[in-house]
Amino acid sequence: MEKTADRAAQRAAEKAAKKAAKHVSVQNRFTKKHVRKFIVSVFLYLVLFDLAFVFLYPFITMIIDSLKSDADLVNITVKWIPSSLQWSNYKVAFDGLDYFQISSTFPFLGGFVMNSVFVTLVATIGHTFVCAFVGYGFARYKFPGRTVFFLLVILTMLVPTQVLIFPLYIMYSGWGWLNNYLPLLVPCFFGYGLRGGFYIFLFRQFFLGLPYEMEEAARIDGCGALKTFFKIMLPMARSSTLVCVVLSVVWHWNDFFEPSIYLTQAPKLALLPSRLPAMYAALNQVASEAEDIALNSNVVVNQAICMASTFLVILPLLIAYMFVQKQFMEGVERSGLTGM
Amino acid sequence: MAENKQAKQPKVKEPKVKKEKKGMTIKTRRSLEGIMFITPWLIGTAIFFLFPLITSIRLSFSELTSMAGFEMEWNGIENYRYLFQQSTTYIPNFLAEVKDTLIDTPITLVFSLIIAMLVNRDIKGRGFFRTVFFLPVLLGTGYVMEVLLGSEMNGVITIPSGLLQAIGASFAELVTGFLSRITTVLWKSGVQIILFLAGLQGISASLYEASRVDGATEWENFWKITLPLVSPIILLNFVYTMIDSFTDSSNKIMSDIEHCFSNGALARGASMGWFYFAFTFLVCVIVLAVMSRLTFNQGER
Repeated sequence: MEKTADRAAQRAAEKAAKKAAKHVSVQNRFTKKHVRKFIVSVFLYLVLFDLAFVFLYPFITMIIDSLKSDADLVNITVKWIPSSLQWSNYKVAFDGLDYFQISSTFPFLGGFVMNSVFVTLVATIGHTFVCAFVGYGFARYKFPGRTVFFLLVILTMLVPTQVLIFPLYIMYSGWGWLNNYLPLLVPCFFGYGLRGGFYIFLFRQFFLGLPYEMEEAARIDGCGALKTFFKIMLPMARSSTLVCVVLSVVWHWNDFFEPSIYLTQAPKLALLPSRLPAMYAALNQVASEAEDIALNSNVVVNQAICMASTFLVILPLLIAYMFVQKQFMEGVERSGLTGM
Repeated sequence: MAENKQAKQPKVKEPKVKKEKKGMTIKTRRSLEGIMFITPWLIGTAIFFLFPLITSIRLSFSELTSMAGFEMEWNGIENYRYLFQQSTTYIPNFLAEVKDTLIDTPITLVFSLIIAMLVNRDIKGRGFFRTVFFLPVLLGTGYVMEVLLGSEMNGVITIPSGLLQAIGASFAELVTGFLSRITTVLWKSGVQIILFLAGLQGISASLYEASRVDGATEWENFWKITLPLVSPIILLNFVYTMIDSFTDSSNKIMSDIEHCFSNGALARGASMGWFYFAFTFLVCVIVLAVMSRLTFNQGER
């Protein structure tokens, strides 16, 4: 009797132990998986932060350097934390760039920052509307020569401006367009200008991915092609429009080559980035006069003011981007480039 | 589509017929509408692209006799002969730029794809990382970027010198060269990251789910799903990167051309640009031809 009870108890204990062991092993498997997942994610974040640091490094140094005093700049032990914040650098840069100075040619525009804003906005509006229009045509209509024309669009992306700049310059000078914003703005309204072909490509890709039903319904209801585009298709392309606007604004704002060719004789019309080299030269001149030494014009004397002015040039872009950042990324995600 | 419409057409009476121009089929009307949509671009192409393109080709084979009237005199391949036989800077600059482009382009593509895949995952602070990786695009494609990269970029990543000695001099040189290049390259890959991100987002999640159910690892997923589906974007990014490095303001050939421009040696500048462009174009065509066989096409759309 006792024996059987003992055996039963033993069996029960064994069973429990087995169960416990099983439970533990299950738990172990989970923890192992968790540990592996944890290690992977730690590694992932390390890589991400490393890359982020590489991306941010020039930007951070720019901001730090722009606030350094002369003594800190020379002192190599001061790398990350300036001993005192020299806000006056920004004042000098602000005046040096003539950020808000009233220009006499365009009295309604105040200073070089407004020049840049004006050109960027007009060019972007042109790019967005015209490239959406043309991209829609390429995506939705069949007409003779469509493939050839589209290959031509791609070719226009490939040919750099530098190759075309001589004939364009001669052409514009013949039309009296030099030292004016026209050469920068008018091509944008014809799908050209700064990377116009890229936007046409972008919009075509987007419209290709949209269903046909809306347009068919509109057409059956007697809506014309133009009305269909402006009332139905363009509002649907909000995400692509935003991508186009952001990229166009950024590239026009930073464009240096074409303005430097077309606006050489019109210093009042200069755009903000073009002001930088002039300002560096002026700074160097001041410094060389003060120290009475001949300096190479490429050597920038005061790194702090140089960095402050660079920061001021891109500041409007940063502010503008902060507002659209979220929608822009969503727009990128919806641009339908792979379309699966 | 057009046939379908044609069949329906007789049923619609007064209003629709009025709108149609007489004697025009739906098909012609549709193609006319299509041409109307691309008209602005067609005009632009004629004025701002084809005309300068042809003039520029002509100029590269000519001598500019009068700057004011822009008169040219055909002189055959004289300009090109100058570039190859007399100019001491063109060929070395050309080779240096080609070498740089050939090294930078694959690095850019690989890194931007990796970064795009990282920020495409469901991680914390996605918005922050995306903004950071897009920052270089904001900061400049031109002068501002040059200022920042030119003065600041020496030695972001450094390797202990003991390690360098251990791995041997020639290999160490390669590694340091790669590291000094990498910041510049990464900084120029903002747009590529964005394009890859757009492409990755377009891949349907159900594909990954299905493959996970079938027991595929992430590594296999990458090679069998991600890479084939983003391959068109790789192609696009390849072309974009090539053109970007080609037209970069730090490009020596481009600054030579700009120098020619300010000196009034227009014909010589045109031939410089054309030879370089023809070469890049050839490389692009070869790569497109090779890669379009390798890229995955999602059927007719």
